[in-house]
Amino acid sequence: MTNLNDSNRAAETSPGTDDAEAGPTPGLGWGDYCVPAFIFLFCGVISYVSTTFDEALPLIVGESMQPRVFPIFLMAVIAVLNIGLIVQVLSKPPSRRDWEPYQTWASAVLFGVFYFLATFVDIMIGLMVTMFALSIIWGERRVWVAAVLAIVTTAMIFFSFDLVLEVRFPRGLFTDWYYG
Amino acid sequence: MFAEATGAMFSVFGDPYLMGLILGTTVIGVIIGALPGLGATTGAALLLPFTLTMEPVPAIAVLTTIYVSATFAGAITAILINTPGTAAAAATCLDGYPLAQRGEAGRALGIAVVASTIGGIFSIIVLAIAAPMLARVAYEFRPPEYFALTVFGLSMLASISEGGAIKNLIGGLFGVWLATIGADAITGTERFMFDNYELYEGLNFIPVLVGMFALSELLVQSKSLNTVMERIPIKAVKLPSMADYKKIWKAVLRSCGIGTFIGILPAEGATVASMIGYSEAKRWSKTPEEFGKGAVEGVAGAEAANNAATGGAMVPTLVLGIPGSGTTAVILVGLMVHGLRPGPHLFTEQIDKVYSIFGAMLVANIMFFALGLFAAKLFARVTLVPRGILWPIVFAFSVLGAYSLAQSMLDVYIALIFGVIGYLFRRFGFAVAPVAIGLILGEMVETNLQNSLKIFDGDWTQILVQPLAAFFLILAVLGISQPYIVSYFKKRKARRAQS
Repeated sequence: MTNLNDSNRAAETSPGTDDAEAGPTPGLGWGDYCVPAFIFLFCGVISYVSTTFDEALPLIVGESMQPRVFPIFLMAVIAVLNIGLIVQVLSKPPSRRDWEPYQTWASAVLFGVFYFLATFVDIMIGLMVTMFALSIIWGERRVWVAAVLAIVTTAMIFFSFDLVLEVRFPRGLFTDWYYG
Repeated sequence: MFAEATGAMFSVFGDPYLMGLILGTTVIGVIIGALPGLGATTGAALLLPFTLTMEPVPAIAVLTTIYVSATFAGAITAILINTPGTAAAAATCLDGYPLAQRGEAGRALGIAVVASTIGGIFSIIVLAIAAPMLARVAYEFRPPEYFALTVFGLSMLASISEGGAIKNLIGGLFGVWLATIGADAITGTERFMFDNYELYEGLNFIPVLVGMFALSELLVQSKSLNTVMERIPIKAVKLPSMADYKKIWKAVLRSCGIGTFIGILPAEGATVASMIGYSEAKRWSKTPEEFGKGAVEGVAGAEAANNAATGGAMVPTLVLGIPGSGTTAVILVGLMVHGLRPGPHLFTEQIDKVYSIFGAMLVANIMFFALGLFAAKLFARVTLVPRGILWPIVFAFSVLGAYSLAQSMLDVYIALIFGVIGYLFRRFGFAVAPVAIGLILGEMVETNLQNSLKIFDGDWTQILVQPLAAFFLILAVLGISQPYIVSYFKKRKARRAQS
């Protein structure tokens, strides 16, 4: 395994080189073409939302700018830079890459599962379930190891946060019982 | 004041609690640095919540110790398994691994430990001398100068190693936009809150940083589960011989200077420093043909530079509130959380605390020297921890760390969302560090622009005629165009060589 081969490292360039020399851009071919389009869309939406901000009252001393100006200015600069990005993509089309393995998709889905369980059941139960599932998906074949990892780590972290850092967790099935 | 500062710096050596804390954190930092994927930035972001109940000096000592020790430890895996534990150790792979393949892993690690320690200590000495001097200059800065300086800081994102100039700038500006979420600092107008009043004071930095660095890395790591690591065995770490010292001393000294200077530049960090340190070691070497095949100067040049950048990067962080790297962005958040507002006033009002932090960094360098020398073999074994065990633990620390600062579930959701956003950024070749730096600089940029406009009654052109502000803005233009200028000259040189 080498991190140098990871997609995020693949984009590394030596200092003083521009994107054109950065080697293959990671990502699917179509995805890389979609990125500038998404950025334009993002700039458009944010600029539009910015125009809906309340107008600020004039200041007593001096004159400054309205709260909408700065975000719109940022979006304008990003849009200009995005044109440069398009030129780069067109001048050197990115190489086609494989889709993510199922572990990546499953891990991202587990973020959502954790969100659901933490919100509607209990943050600690959510953590245990997510850790267990992550461990199995990532290749841990011994179910008992994954289970012990999930239970012991969650318990250790819970008590260290609760007793040492005095963090109170949101109410849920387990925390209701623990806090009383 | 000098006596007070020096006394505070060396008082760390007489404080058993702080010494114990630094030792423990150095061990954690070396483990974090040795684990591929978990770098200094992620480590600092994960440990930040644990510092919340500490006093300011121990808390910042923990974060800075993680910074220096993890930066060094990246070399362990770079040399033994050809995988840089941190991005800053990428250049170390080039000659460290060939040396290990030749059966000289102990020698390579010894050189890395010595060069890293010299680089780290050199940069702390520079930090201790240069920071108060720069603070005296920074006293003269008014909002226009600060605005121009932060623009310069953002412009430097163009030349950091990952991503590429345009993508880094877009990432940085995205971070600046994130900082506009919440109530406007001057007028109180609500922006991008969508009736969620938990966002009134803006996005908390910690959940964003945890998401962008730790959770996105989790998704990145999930792509390389099937790759097999081949670890070269090591008997013991050997201190460099006299012949080695003769060979490397010039490269080490050169890289100390390069690393510290690169570190001081806003937004530049250890990764850039190590690459330049390595290439300069090669350029000045009498035997450049050995580079890439196991040149000890290559290991020394890269390692001295990346650790020298740690002290350098603390200079703009402490004096100007402008992070010198991704990790110092996290340290900056730590400073603010603990009530230490970075800026020139820090050097007059709380000089004892500042120099205690320098002292802690000095101690951390000495400790990782000892640990690297005597326990590198042991630390190399952490790479054997199965990812199916390691990364679920990282997930747990990430989400609970994000929760613990404000004890708000919103922060957990923000961390998860930014985990996915961070992954998409990296998937499409955007680095995540510029977003973090942009987020932290965002409020500074806008507030100083607003205050400048108030001073000049809305006339923005007046900013351009302030000498110091104009100077920084010119530097910003050069910073943005620098990668293209360098690239142009490189291509021209290559064309000439061809013809």
